[in-house]
Amino acid sequence: MAIVIQSYRPEHEPAVEEFNRRLQAAADPNLVFYKTSAPQWLPKVGDHLLYNEYFIAVDAGIVRGAYALKHERVFVPGQGEIAVACYHHPLSEGIVNRTYAAVGALMVRDALLRQPLLYALGMGGYDHPLPKMLKALGSSLALLPFFFKIVHPSRFLKEMQALRTSAPRRLLMHIGAATGLGWLALRGAQNVKRARWTRSEGVDVSRVPEFSDWADPLWLQAREQYRMAAVRDSATLRRLYPAADRHFTRLRIQRNQTDIGWAVVGERRKDSKYGSMTVGSIVDCWASPEDAIAVIEAATRELEAQKVDLIVSNQSHLAWGHALERCGFFKGPSNFIFAASKKYAEALHPFAENCRTFHITRADGDGLPRNF
Amino acid sequence: MTASTLQQVRSIASDIFGVPTDKIIPESSPETIENWDSMQHLNLVLAIEEKFGVQLEPEDIEGMKNIGAVAALVERLQSAAR
Repeated sequence: MAIVIQSYRPEHEPAVEEFNRRLQAAADPNLVFYKTSAPQWLPKVGDHLLYNEYFIAVDAGIVRGAYALKHERVFVPGQGEIAVACYHHPLSEGIVNRTYAAVGALMVRDALLRQPLLYALGMGGYDHPLPKMLKALGSSLALLPFFFKIVHPSRFLKEMQALRTSAPRRLLMHIGAATGLGWLALRGAQNVKRARWTRSEGVDVSRVPEFSDWADPLWLQAREQYRMAAVRDSATLRRLYPAADRHFTRLRIQRNQTDIGWAVVGERRKDSKYGSMTVGSIVDCWASPEDAIAVIEAATRELEAQKVDLIVSNQSHLAWGHALERCGFFKGPSNFIFAASKKYAEALHPFAENCRTFHITRADGDGLPRNF
Repeated sequence: MTASTLQQVRSIASDIFGVPTDKIIPESSPETIENWDSMQHLNLVLAIEEKFGVQLEPEDIEGMKNIGAVAALVERLQSAAR
């Protein structure tokens, strides 16, 4: 019987559970597709254009693959708001059983038929299968910069598992952490970066429980200044950051009583590569590029006040990257890829030239609700 | 299938999977060729489409279970196009 790709419905849930069990047993306990057919995150509600949709590849009642599409709109100057979709969580039985080697290709082609303006974000680096597949299918790929700021250097030196890759390096970091030399070195480096940082004048920052109409003029004023930005009007922001979600802190930033931007920050879930450190993330942010520094400054101070050990952020736009560096962030090695399908890259033409003027953050793709 | 089509498919598969042509037989499949994974399956699809000027449908992609099936598929699509 032929493999058919179809919408994931409640009656498929037991078969998806079986599929997950096979992948987990043979490969990786983290390889799990959504257990429920109705998305918990961004389900389709009314006529809202931001929603998730799940698909499964079924062979004689047995699930052999699954993927998700996050439908949304992005604004491209000269073209207005256009519908695109993020391809995420693709899982194929081909990972564990090469009889199903075709499933990966079938799913990505199916997704492209459903939404030719397709993108994927993150993906773990160019050497991973998904970016390779997307590239083979004509997608344009770009690496988005990663930034980090060490708030507590001694804890950073002690806990940063990812950096402790060799015995000499482990020893050096241990000595650095134990003697305080590492603290001095890191503080010194950050202070050099911040030497030119003058605190933004007349800026007021307030925590808000929810985004409301005040965010709409900000969206409309600034969107023309980016070559591409996912819609961030107040209705969308309430979908992304609902008031009930306590993981996020929403900041409203004003200068001389006028709104200039907003930011969303939060604590990342624990990740073994960061040891027991508390890691804060500048999840999302918005302003005109000239106000990026004031917004990043507000977001950084908020996370520092929340006593995180480390702050991370991914920002594609040059002005936001510059703002992070001005606020004491370092640029680190990134494996965060933005891949735009052939049709989507055409809409963003010239892609390579424009990609540092797109506004892409950790909140794009499937980064929310907790993978930011 | 004709020997010519099979030979061309074997040659494409040899390039993609990094296996000498003489080791690729009609029965060669993902189970017998180590490098035949999801990524290389997609590369095989794209190479077949480019080389033979055909467009593969989902059922064609899934039906590429071994080299002989790929060669038979190419011939079927070419004769349908004539």
